[in-house]
This record gives sequence, C-alpha cells and structure tokens, in this order.
Amino acid sequence: MEGWDPNTKSALTQIPLLSIKAGPRDGAAWTQRLKEEYKALIAYTGMNKSNDNDWFRISAANSEGTRWTGKCWYVHNLLKYEFDLQFDIPVTYPLTAPEIELPQLDGKTHKMYRGGKICLTVHFKPLWAKNCPRFGIAHALCLGLAPWLAAEIPILVDSGMIKHKDDSASSSES
Amino acid sequence: MDEELLELQRQLEFAQQVKSSIRLSERNVVELVQKLHELRIIDFDLLHTVSGKEYITPEQLRHEMAAEIKKLGRVSLIDLADFTGVDLYHVENQAQCIVSDDPGLTLIQGEIISDSYWDNVAEEINERLQECSQIALAELAAQLHVGSELLTSMLELRMGTMVKGRLEGGQLYTPVYVARVSSMVRGAARGITVPTNLSALWSSLQQLLQEMNGSGGVAVEGSFFQSLFNGLVKEGEILGSLRAGVHWTPTVFAIAQKESIDSFFSQNSFISYEVLLKLGIPQPLQYLQSRYPDGIPLVTIFVHPSMIEMLDTSAEDAIEHGSWINSLSILPASFGAQDASKILSLCPSVKLALKSNKALILGETYVFSNGFIKDVFDHMEKEMETFSLSGPSMGMVFEDLHSVKEVKAGHDSSRFTELNEPSNESGSNKQSIEKGSKRKKGKTTGNTKTSAAESGPDNQEYVPTKSKKNQRKGKDTSSLRVSDSKTGSKKESDKMKEDNFSIPEEWVMQKITKMVPDFEEQGVDDPEMILRPLADYLRPMLLNSWKERRRALFTENAERMKRVLDNLQKKLDESFLNMQLYVKALDLFEDDQSTSVILHKHLLRTTAASIVDMVLLNLDVHNKLKNGIEVEESQNSESISVTSGERIALAKSLPGSLSARALALVEALEGKRVEIFMTSLDEMAEDSGLLLKKLDKKLERTLLHSYRKDLTSQVSAESDPVSLLPKVVSLLYVQIHNRALQAPGRAISIAVSRLKDKLDDSAYNILMDYHTATVTLLALMSAATDDEQDCTADRILSKRELLESLMPSLKGLVLGTSQS
Repeated sequence: MEGWDPNTKSALTQIPLLSIKAGPRDGAAWTQRLKEEYKALIAYTGMNKSNDNDWFRISAANSEGTRWTGKCWYVHNLLKYEFDLQFDIPVTYPLTAPEIELPQLDGKTHKMYRGGKICLTVHFKPLWAKNCPRFGIAHALCLGLAPWLAAEIPILVDSGMIKHKDDSASSSES
Repeated sequence: MDEELLELQRQLEFAQQVKSSIRLSERNVVELVQKLHELRIIDFDLLHTVSGKEYITPEQLRHEMAAEIKKLGRVSLIDLADFTGVDLYHVENQAQCIVSDDPGLTLIQGEIISDSYWDNVAEEINERLQECSQIALAELAAQLHVGSELLTSMLELRMGTMVKGRLEGGQLYTPVYVARVSSMVRGAARGITVPTNLSALWSSLQQLLQEMNGSGGVAVEGSFFQSLFNGLVKEGEILGSLRAGVHWTPTVFAIAQKESIDSFFSQNSFISYEVLLKLGIPQPLQYLQSRYPDGIPLVTIFVHPSMIEMLDTSAEDAIEHGSWINSLSILPASFGAQDASKILSLCPSVKLALKSNKALILGETYVFSNGFIKDVFDHMEKEMETFSLSGPSMGMVFEDLHSVKEVKAGHDSSRFTELNEPSNESGSNKQSIEKGSKRKKGKTTGNTKTSAAESGPDNQEYVPTKSKKNQRKGKDTSSLRVSDSKTGSKKESDKMKEDNFSIPEEWVMQKITKMVPDFEEQGVDDPEMILRPLADYLRPMLLNSWKERRRALFTENAERMKRVLDNLQKKLDESFLNMQLYVKALDLFEDDQSTSVILHKHLLRTTAASIVDMVLLNLDVHNKLKNGIEVEESQNSESISVTSGERIALAKSLPGSLSARALALVEALEGKRVEIFMTSLDEMAEDSGLLLKKLDKKLERTLLHSYRKDLTSQVSAESDPVSLLPKVVSLLYVQIHNRALQAPGRAISIAVSRLKDKLDDSAYNILMDYHTATVTLLALMSAATDDEQDCTADRILSKRELLESLMPSLKGLVLGTSQS
C-alpha cells in the first residue's frame, strides 16, 4: 500500500469491505452488491463528516444504480472549489473500476482523459485488481478521486486554469 | 427495488445531509486563545501544562493541589508538579499560597505536610512504642525521611496525648520501660556503698539491659540513666552526694567514713592521712581541718591537742629531771620522725625549754635536757683524760678501724707501708666510718671494745709513741702523695690534717652507749638514730675541750722541753768531756793493735753507750713533749739500760734527719773505732741543737785532777781485792801519763806491763804479783762451780787472803805516789 498518504490509507482501512462479486447484469446479486455499496458509502460519509473532511455528495442517477452523479469540492487557500461528479458502473464491474468524470475540468488539465475522466495513479489499478470483490464505489472515491483532487486542484488554481466561482462571478459581472 | 435498498439510499442521503463536526487544529486553538487574551475576553492568568497541550487556571491548580494534599497528607512539591503537569515554579508559588492560607499545613524541605499526617504518624509511633517499649528517634526519622529535629518537635507536641511515653536523649520510651529502668537505676544506686564513678555504673547497667533485651535491644544512653538518677536523687529516693556530675558518694559511705574517722580519732586522738586516703577522702588535711578545727595537722598525721599535752608533760618531766626522752617512744607507732619533730616543736614546755636553752632536740625526735647533755659531756671529757687524750684512743680506734677494714677489704690498704696506714685511714676515715657504721657497726664497736680490753695497760706505753710517730710520718707521706698525684687535691689533705686532731664519731658513739646503756635498749633497731646526732652534737664540744687541753699541755710541755734539753746538755757536757778524756788515754796504746781494739770497744760499750742512751732517751722525751704527749716525769735516764734493738727503735722514732743521724750513731756504737763514733755523735749533736764542748788544756787538767781525786778516794775506800786492781791501774796511768784510762779486765795485764818502764821495780813487782794473784783468784772462782767445793773454796779463801794482804801495799803504791 505504499505510495498513499497516511490520511488516505487510514480512511481506506476504515471503509467496510464488500463481499459479493456481482455486476449490473447479475440481477439480484447486483442488488445485494448495491446494498453493500450503499453501506460502505454511508460509513465513509459518516467517517468524513466526523473527521470534518466532508468533500463530496453522491447519489444514484437511475434505479438500477449503474450511473452515479454528485458533486465534489476542495478547499484551497480558504476557498472552496466545487466540481460536478459523474460516473457509470461498467458491465465488468467489479473487475473493472468505475471511471470517474469531472466534466467541468475537461480540457483544463493533462491528468485527464477525454470526456473529463480523471487519470488515476499507477498504484490504483493493481490495488483494485488485488482487492477485486472487496473494494466498491466508496473505495474508488477514496483511493482515486480524493488524491487526484488534492494533487491537481492547487496546481490548476495557481496556474489560473480554474477560478473561484465568486471571482469568476465578480469578474464576469465586472 | 427492494425496501432495503431504498432504505440504504435514504440513509446515504441522510448521512450526507448531516452537518459535519468542526475540527480546530492546536495551532488554531492556541491562536484563538491568544486572540481572546488580546481582546481581553480572558482577563486572568492562564497556566499551561508542561506538555503544552493544556491550559489551566491558577485556581484549578490550587484546587488540584489541595485535593492531592488532602488525600495524601504529605506530598512533595515535585510529586505535585508531576501530578498536575504544571511547571514546578508555579506549583511552588501555589504551594506557598496554600500553606499560608491553611494553618494546618506546613511546607518543609519541599514537602507539604498536614497536621493530620503528623497525627497519623504519631499514632503509628505510639502503637509501635507500646509494642517495643522503646524506639530510637533516629530510626523513626530515617523511616519517615524527615529530620530528627523536626520529628522531635512534632513528637514533643503530641507527647503525653497521642504518644504515651517519654522522650529522652533521642529515644522514646514507654512509661513502663522508664519505670523499669529507673527501678534498675535505683537498685544499683542503692546497692552502691562506696564512692563510684557513675559512668562505670551506667555501662554495667547498659550491659545488663542489653542482655535482657537480647542483641536487638536498643542501647540506652548514659544520659538517660543520669537523668533518671538525678530525678531519684532529687526525690530523695537515694541518698548521697554527687561531685562533678559523675562521682557519686553514697550517704551510707559518707556516714561510715565519718564514723570510722570519728571513732578512730576519738579513741586514739590522732589519725594518719593515709587512713583517710584509704577511706577515700582525697584531701584529708582539709577534711580534717574542717571537721576538727581544734586539731593540729602534722606532716602525715592529724592529732588532737591532748596528744601534745601528753607529750608535753613527759617532755617537761624529762627536762626537769635532767634526763632525755624519745618522743617516738611516747607517741603511737604510726608517728613518723617528721611528725614527731613537728609535734615536739608544738609542745609549749619544749618550746620554752628550747628558748631558755634548757633542752635540745636531736635526731628530730629526741629531747635531751641540758643537764643530761652536760652529764654525758663531763663523762666524755673524763674518759678522754684517762685515755691521755687523743693519742692512744685515736691510735686504738684507728687500729681497730684499720683491722676491721683490713678484714673487710683487705688488700688495698696493705699495699701501703705500715706507717702509712693510719694516716690513710684517717684520710678516708669519714667514708669508711660512714660505710662501716651502717653495715658493720656492731662488729666495729665490738672489736674496739674487746681490743681495748685486751690491749689495755701494756699497749698504753708504746702505742702513743707509735701512733704519734705514725701520724708524723703519715703527714709527710700524705703531703708527698698529694704533690705526686695531684688527684688527692688540697681538700683531702686539709681534711686529713683536721682529722688528725679529730675524735672519730664512732668512738664518741661507743662511749655514749657505754655511759648510757638506755640507748642500747632504746635504739636497738637503729642506734644510729640517736647516737649519731648526739655524737655529732658532742663531738665539736669534745674537740674544743680537747684542743684547749692540748694547748694548755703545749705550754706546759714547752717548759719541760727546755728543762729536758738543759738537763741533757748538762749531762752531755759532762760525759762527753769524760769521753774525750778517755779517748786521749787510748793514744797510749795506739802502737799495740790488739789492745787498742779492746780498749776502743770497751770505751764504746761503756761510756759511749751511756752517752748515746742518754741522748736518745732525752731526745725522745723532748720529741713527745713537742707533740703534746704527756710524759710521766722522767725516770732517770741513767738507770735505764737500753739494748741495741731498743736503741734502734728509739732512733727510728726520732723525726726526720735526726732519725738517720741517730741510726748512724747507734751503728757507730757497734763499731770498733771511737773516732767514728765521735764524728757521728758530733753530727747528731749538731742536728739536735746540742753543743759538744771540746776539751782544752785547762779543762783537761781540772778534769784529770778531779778524776784522779775520785779514783784515789775510790782506791782508798776499795775493799774488794779484785775490783781494786783496775782502779789502781787507772790511777797509776793518771799519775804517770796524765791520761784517764778505761781498761777492761782483759787489757789490764797489758796496761800493767806498759807501766813497767815508768815504775820502779818494787812497785812494779807488787803490781805484777797482785795482778797474777787476782788472775788466779778469778780463774779459781770461775772454776769453783764444778769441782769439789771444800778444796777450791779453801784455795779461793787463801788467795783472797793473800790478795787482801797485798792490798795495803798496792794501795800504798798508788796513794803514796799520789801523795808524793
């Protein structure tokens, strides 16, 4: 588990692990899996809240629970930068990790695929594959998105690629 | 969509809606607090913990500390600082506040201790004390980790209330224990009957306690005993007196001491300091003086005045009766000589007598009345007289001493000549006497006595001469010796001279013992004691009187010497002239050798010998007189016949060169030549200061004349036919040759034959006949003894008759011629 910062690591270990290996096409098993996903997300959210580290909002966009949307934010220099968040559950899930998209930042950074899909670290994929049925959406957020935000947002803000909504608002106003 | 899923969706929704709790970092908080301070919202001091993660207000700190103190009773500030996590500095500050607010707390050596803690400790101690009956404070202090002083001060407050016991010398005791030890002390103190050093007593008690308690028992200090003891003494439980804090003298002992001294003193009216010392009184004199102010302290003894009275009366008695007294014999045996002399000096009668010269104290303890001394002295003087003063007595004593010494030491004196010995003896007299008297005294006196008895009267005669002579010689030799050796030194010779005149102490002492036999009885053990001082006292007196006597004798002797010399001169003149006369007659026979020898010898035997004897005897007498020796009024010197041996002795006795001359003279007397004798006589006379008158013509004639007259009258008066012949012959010689011939019988015939030429025939014949008849008669008479008496007697008778018949003719022959 090298390469992860200690906060991430400690958070990851506290997220409950999943047990059912089922994809969106597995019917009832998927429902069971979806339940576990929810429990893990609840626990992770509670954890973040209690640590004063709440940084995302998420909810299933369809009843099957294959598409998820929400918001995520990062505080830099006492300013909160908020971005839209969306991803689909792939058919090969949970063997394949979901591809998290931040559509607002598409084209603004190199660490991103076309369509606003974030580039994850080299460590992510082997770790996910190793913990195949046990990791879920919560783990993907914790291991994928949180480090990415912490690494990229300050650079993007400093380089002026993104602006705070107040500034942009004021600048647009002005 | 099952229920559960929906529920979970809702839950997620809900969870995401929950407001997240807000977390502040430490830094933020510190900043916030600082902000609050700056804004005066917090307007009091805030302390922070050592970890820096907590803020604490002083009140809270104080509160916590107080709670801690209350809980533990005794807390060290360091512990408090640890406990509260606040810097020690603040804890100390707060501790001071706490202690000053609460009177029940004390801050001691970085510890806060509450009274209740002490109460607990005191209770604990009390419990332990009741168990062990004694605890050392030091032990307690070590256990509690507090100073023993603090502990003591704490315990003193609670003593008697919380701690039931007694604090003594850093030791806690229960009352029971104290009572027990005090009982021991009381018992020991009461058991003591003699003065004791208390520390010794305590150490023995300590040992006893140790044994009782076993080895674990705590050592009880002497001071504890001492304080108990002092308490007992104060209460009167034990009686006695304490000196210098440690010397305990029990009353019992003091009483016994006092009683024994009292009884002894009242019974004996004296007490020796030694007795007091034995009784344990260190300063007997002061003690006695304070107790018996009227007593009299002596050197080693303390006496009651009655003692003095007693001695006084007896001394007075002795003085009045002209006697003597030994104070030691009157006083008890424990009196020493010093005490006796001191007490004597305190006797009023003795003092008085001494002042008025009526008594004398000798040898420290003896009192002599003057009467007694005088008596003894008179006796002694008389004694000296009977011994014809010093001479014999001294000689005797010397000889005795000498003999004693010779017996004792032998050889050293024998090396000297006999003459030397006495003087030697007198030289070393003092020492030898002193030495001898101590050890050999009895023997010496015994010897002198016996020898005195033995050599009584007959010694008397020759001893004086000898001793005198010896002394003379001795002086000479001694002076020689002094000059020779130089080691002798003048002093010795002076002493010797003095000693020559002295009376030896021995002798005086001996005399005193003879005179006063009491002394012998008194001083059997040590006659020295009294005899010596008495003799010392008497000796100078005796010496003085003896010297006076001697001086008187000297003047007397001087006259006699003169007389003797005059006498001698006179006699010498006479006989010397005669001698010269006779010598002249010898010239006639010078040609006839044999006759001459006979005549010489005869002359020497007769006339010369008498002259020598006279001279020697008189000179001897003179000599003695000169030395102050009394000589009986002289026997007439002529009557004494002196043998040649005696002559030599006399000659030797003469002083100095005179002796040599005299010896030469005596030798000449034995010789054959008158001339030699004459010369030696001449020399002798010269030395002795006598005059020898030379014969001159006139004198010769008168002498011859008187001689002739003398002879004539003798011849005419002579009736014995035998002795007539030599006289007739002599007369004839005088008549014919004018020479006085002294011829022995053997020379008569020659003398007669010599007359042949000078006489006529008839006269010569008569002479010859008479001569032959005399010769035959003498021959007969000498033969008469052996042969038959009748016939020889007859023949002698007839011859005698014949001679007698011839006598008138012979007489006529001489007388006739003399008349013609």
